[in-house]
Amino acid sequence: MLSFLGRRVLFTIPVVLIASFVLFIFVRATFDPTAQLRSSHADSASVAREKERLGLDRPVVVQYGDWLGKFVHGDWGQSERTREPVFGMIRRALWYTVQLIFWGILLSATVSIFVGVYSAVKQYSPLDYTFTGLAFVGLALPPFWFGLIAIEFLAVQPVNWFHLQEPIFSFVGLHSGDSTGFNLDYVRHLALPVLTLTVQIIASWSRFQRAAMLDVLQSDYIRTARAKGVPRRQVIVKHGLRNALIPLVTVMALDIGALFGGLIITETIFSIPGMGRLFYESLLAGDATVLVAWTVVTALFIVAFNLLADVLYGVLDPRVRMA
Amino acid sequence: MIRSKARYRLIALGAVFALVLVACGGSSSKKSGSTTPTTPTTAPLGQPASGTLVLAAEQEPSCSDWIASCAGLSWGVWTMQEHTMPSAFDIVKDGSGWNYAPSILLAGAPTLTTSPSQVVTYKINPAAVWSDGVPITSADFKYTWDQIANGKDVYSKTGYENIASVDDTDPSTAVVTFKPNQSYGPWRSLFGSDYGVWPSHILAGKNRDAMTKNGYAWSGGPWKIAKWNRGVDVTLIPNDKYWGEKAKISKVIFKFIPDTAAQFKAFQTGEVLGVYPQPQPDSVDLIKKGLPNAKSAYTADTGSIEALWMNNAKAPLDSVPVRQAVAYAIDRDAIVARLFGVLGVTKASQSLNPPITAQYGDQQAWAGYSLNLAKVAELLTGDGWAKGSDGIYAKGGKKLSLTIVTTAGNQRRELTEQILQEQLKAAGIEMKIKNQSADQLFGTTLVKGTFQLSLYAQTNTNLDPGLCVIMCSANIPAKANSNSGQNFTRTGIPALDPLLQTVDSSSDNALRAQNQIQADRLMAQNQVTLPLDPLPNIAIWSDKIQGNLSDNPITAMFWNMNTWQLRG
Repeated sequence: MLSFLGRRVLFTIPVVLIASFVLFIFVRATFDPTAQLRSSHADSASVAREKERLGLDRPVVVQYGDWLGKFVHGDWGQSERTREPVFGMIRRALWYTVQLIFWGILLSATVSIFVGVYSAVKQYSPLDYTFTGLAFVGLALPPFWFGLIAIEFLAVQPVNWFHLQEPIFSFVGLHSGDSTGFNLDYVRHLALPVLTLTVQIIASWSRFQRAAMLDVLQSDYIRTARAKGVPRRQVIVKHGLRNALIPLVTVMALDIGALFGGLIITETIFSIPGMGRLFYESLLAGDATVLVAWTVVTALFIVAFNLLADVLYGVLDPRVRMA
Repeated sequence: MIRSKARYRLIALGAVFALVLVACGGSSSKKSGSTTPTTPTTAPLGQPASGTLVLAAEQEPSCSDWIASCAGLSWGVWTMQEHTMPSAFDIVKDGSGWNYAPSILLAGAPTLTTSPSQVVTYKINPAAVWSDGVPITSADFKYTWDQIANGKDVYSKTGYENIASVDDTDPSTAVVTFKPNQSYGPWRSLFGSDYGVWPSHILAGKNRDAMTKNGYAWSGGPWKIAKWNRGVDVTLIPNDKYWGEKAKISKVIFKFIPDTAAQFKAFQTGEVLGVYPQPQPDSVDLIKKGLPNAKSAYTADTGSIEALWMNNAKAPLDSVPVRQAVAYAIDRDAIVARLFGVLGVTKASQSLNPPITAQYGDQQAWAGYSLNLAKVAELLTGDGWAKGSDGIYAKGGKKLSLTIVTTAGNQRRELTEQILQEQLKAAGIEMKIKNQSADQLFGTTLVKGTFQLSLYAQTNTNLDPGLCVIMCSANIPAKANSNSGQNFTRTGIPALDPLLQTVDSSSDNALRAQNQIQADRLMAQNQVTLPLDPLPNIAIWSDKIQGNLSDNPITAMFWNMNTWQLRG
């Protein structure tokens, strides 16, 4: 197992280096870190001095090497827009995004596995058809639309319908006023963004889980277990679900990695200052220093979760480790 | 098994019931320690500060070092700056227009002498103190001027560069002497407006930017910054040392809500009690539908003008007849009515001076340019253009095709472009749309002059006329001005420069107005660009807020927040 893990980690290193290099070149070619300075009417000498300070007058490969050296030491530069250290900005944004992802994945995994298993076990039952239909609807719902609809019908309208003093669910940030920490206020703020985030994921994962479970339930060893008189619940949960989870775990790991940079719309609609909103604001402002670090951090998460998927697959299915 | 299922159902039902119960009873969440902005604790009128007011802020300021170039957003002024920085002048409604009035920082109106050099003497109110109790003195004026005029990475040095010295010998009197032949007409905007007056006893000899860019604890206004939670909100609390009318609400929280639709929904549910949205089609439509328990103020009496800016140096717009033909091809009133008719704003701007500086200019200078297709044909034919089989004019085998650029993603501007495109096509002029990010447009395209038409707003942050910066030939971006000039339209009319320079430098308001009127007529005659609409300000607040709420073209609806109160 250790050598399998070692091999996977080793393969990851060049992927990370190549990805970071390509992203660095791409952002450098697209955005100018001195644009902010130029638009603030600085003279050409000031712009030239800033270019020299940032090393922009050197070959791009040298710039990349210099940037990488600082990056691994936690010096990610300073935002041209806010003058804050980029490391702190990304850490702060990550915290918000991690909260959304954690609760979103927890809910998605729970619901999808339940729905997938139920649909497979009760294939072609009325509820299976219902779940299938809902899954297709869920897949077709764009998050920006669903988010606004959720706000309208779960937050705004109930206030009018039931003459509430305040909405059941809030949708501005993750807390009201000075409230902090894990409390009811937090849950009320979290509900709608998590729902928006999970609708498509649940729809997709539940279909995946259903297909995997059906495959497993039709396999010989399940038939054998049933023939030997193993209780139905044990056959489904211990022998069926355990094996049917293997492909889902891989998909989950890949999807989670992509979510770190993919919540732009959800975070904007719900005013959550996470990674998605940081990217959007930095893109509008042409904040090249933040964009370089952001794209590389996002790529790192995608690579890390790909690695995790590989490792989990190896852990869950010994045949992969042998290969 | 059945009992277990029933238990789960009971728990689920209980959870939903609990949420509804919490929503119905505002006081329960207070017990848990969380803030409940929608049910503010309020005190009867006249009582000490109480209650928490939550307002929406559409944009988050990049930093709070108001002198630095990172502090260009108006929302920085509206959420923090104007509430914490003492200012020499207030901007007040004066009859039908807006005017400067000495603020309570001063003991009276400053005295002005213009010969041999311009000298302004500010007498400081002896009651004026910083939040730590230290008096505000002339040393603070001197420090402010020094930081702006001699600092690096300053947002704008305009006006402060003209100052030769600030005499702080007498702590209660600041004597500001301008350089010879560099008098500054808009002197009332100095030590106020965007910058205010800065505390030298706290900042002198220290790194101002580092100490202020993420908020600051001191204040010389009615409020102090209690906390700036980046990306989330900024909280203000009363400054108990303020020598003017003290704040009556114990806490004001500006929540950063970038999405306009989300702002309105937050207002509808009571999550925020006030919004000040951009005049976008979405917000205008929502206002049309009506908002419950809301009061509002809409005004076109603002500091902003949206115009169709034309590059006078780029063919075919380097030809006056072509620029005039474009102006006659557009029904500007129809555009304004479509955009802002619901708010009662239906007439196009006929001047490049925003409404708040109307008294200085000819506000009807462009009134002659209204939709007139016969005039379009006459002007273009006279300039050698002929209509092709596709209905578009052409000259020398080249179609009269123009490209417009504006800030991508701005609904109002995109809608305006579509209307312009249709109107111009009907007149035989093709228009292509090629939008960019704001950064690219203002940072590169306009500076380099690689555009033909552009749609954006010009906003005044003070009450003085000042078109030289965007219309004088010396301000065309060039090596001579290190490409920092803002005459992006490349307007170069020799007779225009001295007129606009006088408007900038003279402290004689009658002379300034006379020159500005001449300048307006000259610009309209040459059709250097086409004013479209005054951007209306929209202020909406809950009837839970009591006080004299109204809009201020510079300091927005928040200008007198210290006088507001909350009712239960």
